[in-house]
Parts: sequence; C-alpha cells; structure tokens
Amino acid sequence: MAGVKLQTRPMRSRNFWSKIAHMGIYGSTLVSTALVALILLTLLLQSGPAIFEAGHTLHMTEWNPAEGVFGIVPMIVGSFLVMVIALALAVPTGILAAIYIAETRSESVKRMARSSLEILAGIPSIVYGLIGVAFLSIWIADIFNLQTGRLILTAGILLAVMILPTILSLTEDAISNVPDQYKENAHALGLYRYEVIKEAILPQAKADITGAVLLSLGRALGETMAVMLVIGSIDRLPDPIYNVLSSGQTITSKLGREVGESAFGSTHFSVLVFMSLILVALSLLLTIMSQTFLRADKHRV
Amino acid sequence: MFSRHLKNKVFASLTRFSLFVCLGILTFLLFTITLQGIKAFSLSFFFTPSRDFGASGGILYQIIGSLLLVIVAALLVLPFAVGTAIYRSECVKSDRIKRYLDLAIFCLNSIPSVTYGLFGLILFVNIFNTGISWFVGSIILAIMMLPTVTITTYQAMNSIPQHYRENGYALGLNRIQVIRRIVLPQSFHGITTGLLIGLARAVGETAPIMFIATAFSGVMVPNGLNEPVATLPTHILALAQQATNPDALRNAWGASLTLIIFVMLFSTLAYFARVKFKVLSQR
Repeated sequence: MAGVKLQTRPMRSRNFWSKIAHMGIYGSTLVSTALVALILLTLLLQSGPAIFEAGHTLHMTEWNPAEGVFGIVPMIVGSFLVMVIALALAVPTGILAAIYIAETRSESVKRMARSSLEILAGIPSIVYGLIGVAFLSIWIADIFNLQTGRLILTAGILLAVMILPTILSLTEDAISNVPDQYKENAHALGLYRYEVIKEAILPQAKADITGAVLLSLGRALGETMAVMLVIGSIDRLPDPIYNVLSSGQTITSKLGREVGESAFGSTHFSVLVFMSLILVALSLLLTIMSQTFLRADKHRV
Repeated sequence: MFSRHLKNKVFASLTRFSLFVCLGILTFLLFTITLQGIKAFSLSFFFTPSRDFGASGGILYQIIGSLLLVIVAALLVLPFAVGTAIYRSECVKSDRIKRYLDLAIFCLNSIPSVTYGLFGLILFVNIFNTGISWFVGSIILAIMMLPTVTITTYQAMNSIPQHYRENGYALGLNRIQVIRRIVLPQSFHGITTGLLIGLARAVGETAPIMFIATAFSGVMVPNGLNEPVATLPTHILALAQQATNPDALRNAWGASLTLIIFVMLFSTLAYFARVKFKVLSQR
C-alpha cells in the first residue's frame, strides 16, 4: 500500500525530504570533484620549500640530503629508461598477440584469452614484486653474470609483464571494433591476411591503439611496489646513461623508499612531494591525451 | 624483397609466437604463485598471528586488517559514489558540466597510487595530526575506489530506459521519488558490482597505505580509529625485503596466494552481482 501512504503524507514533509536528498546529491558531487583539487593543492603547498630552499640543486645528478643537495635527474632518467624498456617489450608483443586473438575464428580461444587477461589484471603489484625478487632478478643476475639482479632492466621487464594485459585487452577491443566491411572489402581485393591487417584494420584502429599505449604508459609511470623491490634503489645516473644493467632509481621507487623515513616539513620531504607532483602532472597529461585519442576515434566512426 | 606470401607467413608466425609468449607468462605466473603459496598453507597459517618478524606463525591479523580496511573504505565511498552518479545521470542537463565531471573522475583515476599515500600522510597524519591510523587508510582507499564505483553505478543508471522515468513523473512523483523508487532499484546491480570491483582492487593496494595505516609487527585488532593495523600487502612487502630467509619467503608466497584468493573472490562476486541482480529492463 505504498501509494496510499505517499498520498496521505503532508506536502511540506515531502518537500523537506526532497530538499535534504538534493543537498546530499549536490554535496557528494561537490566532494568528489573537489578531491582532485584538494590533492593537487596539498602537494603544491608542500612542495614550496623544495623550490625555494633546494631549487638551485634540483637539476643536479647527485642526491645527498645530508649536504642539502637534492638532484632529481637520476630518478627522472631512471623512470624514463624503465618506461622505454617496458614499452619496447610490451607494445609489440601485446599488439601482435591481440591481432591473433581478434582474428582467430575460434570462440573458445577468445573466451579463454579474455578470462585469463582478467585474472592477470587482478594480480596485485606487490605480488609481481615478489616474483621479481624471488625469480626474475636471480635469473637476470645469472644470465649477465652480475652480483645483483636488481637492475633497471629487471624493473623494465617486470613492468612490461604488468602492462601487457592492459595493452592486449584494449588493442583487442580496438581491432574487434573495426567494422567487418573494411576487412571484407580488403579480402575481396585479393589481399593477403597480413596486408588486410596492415592496410585496412590497423589504420582504422590506430587511434584506439595509441590511446591504449598512452594509458599503459601512465600505469607504468605510476607503478611503485614492483619497481621499488627490483630496481636496486641507487640514486646515481647509470654510466653510460643508457646502461640498463646498472641499479637505478625511479621517481616512484624513491617515494616508496624515502617518504616514510624523511621528517615531515623538512626540505628532504618537500623535494619528495615535488617529485610526486611531477609524477601526477605526467600521469594526468598521459590520461587526458589517451582520452582524446579514444574519444576522437568514437567521433569518427 | 620478400614475396607477399612469405611476408604473410612470417607475420602469422610472429603473432602466434607473441601469443605463446603471453601464454607462457600467464602459465608461469599462475603456477608459481599457486605452487609456492600452497606450500605455506595450513589451517594454523590462517588462524595464528605472525611471529619472528613474519618468518614463522601465520597471517591471522593481516587478514583481519586487510578486510577491515577495505570494507570500511567501501562503506565510506558508497554515499559519495552513488550521489555523484545520481547527479551525473539524473540532475545535470548541460553537456559541458558532464564533461568537467568526467574529467575530474578520470583525473582521480589516473593519479598514481603512491601519491595517494603521500597525500594522506601530509593532510591527515601530519596536518590533522591523526598519527598512523587504519581509518585514514580506509579514507584514502575510499578515494581511490571512488572513480570505479561512480562510473559503474552511472553506467547502470544511464542504461535504464527513459520511459521508466517518464512513467514515474506521469504518476506525479517528484525527482527524488523517481530516484528512490525507480532509478536506485533499477541500478542496484551496478552499485554492487562497482563496489565489489573496487574492493578487489583496493585489497591488493600497498603504496597508498604503507606510510599511513599499517605497522609490521606487534599489531592486533585495533581498539580505536587511531591505531595501525597489519595488512596482507604490507606484510608481503616486509617479507619480500628479507627474501634471503627461506622461511620468510615461504610465508610471503602464502600471504600472496591468500591475497589473490581475496581478489578472485571479490571479482567472482562482482560477476555474479552483475548477472544475478540485473533487473528485467536491462537483461
């Protein structure tokens, strides 16, 4: 008898509750959207001392908090190298495997691939870190005959494994979304399967694939736990600079290692916050870029 | 110059090779984690507290701590996520505001997890002076879950046919009544699915909580909001750093498998929630 109850309720209380509910809706939306601003503002305010007190040392390649030298270049170079290795390994593998999965006629292969990708994506990054510590770093030390396997290369390979599911599933979506007519027309022209994929399908899916790569680049950049456990955590530039068989440091591994140790309010802490701000800025940039690619594609088709 | 036929063959074998690489990685990961994890499993592993810095004993308090953190986080995020989704789907007409709202949610989603930890450390632990507290960890995890839950809920609301709402208005219901009697019941599956996916992600997060919510040893069930807890991911982290000790490593694998079982459990529940609670209009 809910309807009857509604009718007998006085009009004023109905408006009253309606107002409260509206306030709840608007309030929660305001909080949700203000969070981004709050996070950015907090980081910005805390990184002030880094710029004013240590600004003249930030561009250096040496990190020595005891002497007030806070060069963040080694971390930035480390992050860059790790990302390049991860992308160089994961992008070709991911795209080629996605082409196989999208083009296969077997429905069971497709279903199996999708569910195993979901499983892979569900493995927490700390578990990847454990695998890196217990297996990957030991293998790499053996292969290259080094004393330690905790290297920039190890972190790059581990990250490649971690972003592979993202690249694979998004690329597979992108290729499956290309309308069948394109494929059929190309086949009708007598093209080989390789040529169909290269000339008809990939150009159509290009924007989506770029978006996927940018998105996984953002993931790789922000990944902390696994990288922190296997990179060796040494604040020096590799020598020579492309030597990936040396221990290094990324922005995230630096944060993970030192935020807990540095005193709140010190210049050291502030420089860490400043690095985190750089990290956020890059991640936001990558996400917004990937969204424009993904959206641009939707408009075109 | 290769012939076209040869090129085609080479390309086909390349794609097959890549697929085998991916399958190899998958098989290796699953086998390793399961085999190594099972070695540590026993009834007492789940029901005794850890001893000797994790090298012996079990993971009882780590399991309790992890579940406490994520479940409270889910309860905290629920009203905000549902409110935002209702606003996005029912209240706002302007496309520009919708775009800004999406942008804010996407930005929140793309902030690296370690930054959330740093943010919590600055704002809560130091400025609000809460100290290391599990409740702060829950708040931070709730913020991280917000985009997932909001987007899933919004998608469920958005796929309710428009004439359901129009029928409600034609019966004289006002907007809030339409939301309460039509939109919320019809999108219930989206809310539960979103929450469970959020739980599956949050339970494995380490970086956001390791500075602000957890302690490694000597922690039991917290007595108040201001106490640290032990959690599975931070326990694995601590054990992974003493990887030369085989006993510590064995317990780390056991904790990892337990953690993955929780992730799978939440994902499977999310799948069933999506199927089971789906209302007639959206099947």
